[in-house]
Amino acid sequence: MADGIQQAASKALLREMGLDEANIERRKKIVGFEASDLPRIAAIRDLVTQHADDYVTTFFNHLSGLDDARPLIASRAIAERARQLKREHLVAMVQGEYGMKYVEQRIELGILYAKAGLDARVFLGAFHQLLKHIGSAVMKQLDRKPVDGFESFMSLKKIAFFDIGLIVDILVFERERTIRQQQESIRELSTPVLQIRERLLLLPIIGVIDTQRARLITESLLRSIRANRAKVVVMDITGVATIDSKVSNHLLQTVTAARLMGAHVIVTGLSAEVAQSLVALGIELSKLNTVGDLQGGLEDAERILGYRVLTAEAGAGPAPEGT
Amino acid sequence: MSAEVSVSIERDADIVTARHEGRQLAAAAGFSSADQTIIALAISEITRNIVSYAQCGKLTLSRMDEGGRRGILIVAQDDGPGIPDIDLAMRDGYSTAGSLGVGLPGARRVMDEFELVSAPGKGTTVTMKKWLR
Ligand SMILES: Nc1ncnc2c1ncn2[C@@H]1O[C@H](COP(=O)(O)OP(=O)(O)OP(=O)(O)O)[C@@H](O)[C@H]1O
Ligand SMILES: [Mg+2]
Repeated sequence: MADGIQQAASKALLREMGLDEANIERRKKIVGFEASDLPRIAAIRDLVTQHADDYVTTFFNHLSGLDDARPLIASRAIAERARQLKREHLVAMVQGEYGMKYVEQRIELGILYAKAGLDARVFLGAFHQLLKHIGSAVMKQLDRKPVDGFESFMSLKKIAFFDIGLIVDILVFERERTIRQQQESIRELSTPVLQIRERLLLLPIIGVIDTQRARLITESLLRSIRANRAKVVVMDITGVATIDSKVSNHLLQTVTAARLMGAHVIVTGLSAEVAQSLVALGIELSKLNTVGDLQGGLEDAERILGYRVLTAEAGAGPAPEGT
Repeated sequence: MSAEVSVSIERDADIVTARHEGRQLAAAAGFSSADQTIIALAISEITRNIVSYAQCGKLTLSRMDEGGRRGILIVAQDDGPGIPDIDLAMRDGYSTAGSLGVGLPGARRVMDEFELVSAPGKGTTVTMKKWLR
């Protein structure tokens, strides 16, 4: 059931964000919440509960007037769920129980906001509207002294700030997660292993190779060798910005690892001048099977695989017709 | 001519810049393309050592003209941890980072003059020269 999935997602996020009992207590302390706030909130419980629907409407009306909130409002399913959760929120706000269960509910709403790409700014604007409405309703309560109403409202505001802290943290956390995932995929993209034909892989390496990247390159190459049962790998380093001893060491290790997996490695794109300078420095390159350019490397690879490379004129026999 | 170039060295991208500047200056000084490559490689080694072991430092490149002898002067300086045993660090194959351990001895091999000044806690300065033939 969808509810179950939602709850599991909330629980997972709770863990990732380190929201345990101790953390929740710290958050209450931050907003200055004390036991004396409980009776003050209880005094406005009925009022808030009775008008919960109005406040929810206020909150969402404000959002629907904003372009920035469109994703949340535009999807009917998301908007419905958000309304429902917001209503539960308002009721829960005045129940006096602000433990793990309360936080879990807030998280579910936070995840929904994050999914809809709601900005913290926009959320704060709408939440402010909502609080303003609750505030004036509380102050207008005729059977109470204005100072009592004010105190009740200030106590409720502590919970509101506790909630804001949670929602903003979720929005930031989720955004960082997106950025982390994007960085991952950029890294993946920057080390593509291409299958040229059966058993033959091409690994073009571009840019700067540091230890971290070298590890990624090696990992993705080994994975591809296994997946494609590759026999030959052409590693093209034409695009590598600097080749010095450290980079050579990384390349040598990648080649060694690929060999241990049973693949033959041909390195292309190392200019004669650079190769000579590396040898002069004292780097043992004889272990590397280097071929000047990519074209030559691919031809060598095909030979190893048992293909014969022919030019068009020297083609043995007539070319297949009608292709 | 006292055209001096300095590059602050903090990250991998700075190594690329340093190599590029070195190659430019070497070309302007009249070094062959093969020698430019060698100079760029030596610069690469000592600046990468800065990034790897000292976090940050500075590379200064200048042209030398001493009584008709012309060449290029390369100074790499950092305030990192320094090198406790210089003889050991200059040995082929010695590396505290599990690398090839060829950077320092190799740079000495490919340059005409090479001097390493370093002490624990005092940082490291590498001075290298290559003369035009
Ligand atoms: N600037 C520096 N500051 C502190 N220690 C250094 C510095 N440069 C080199 N070292 C030390 O000297 C050792 C040898 O340096 P060298 O450049 O010869 O080899 P490497 O960097 O370990 O490996 P390679 O350069 O072959 O990838 C290093 O492992 C390091 O411990
Ligand atoms: Mg080194």
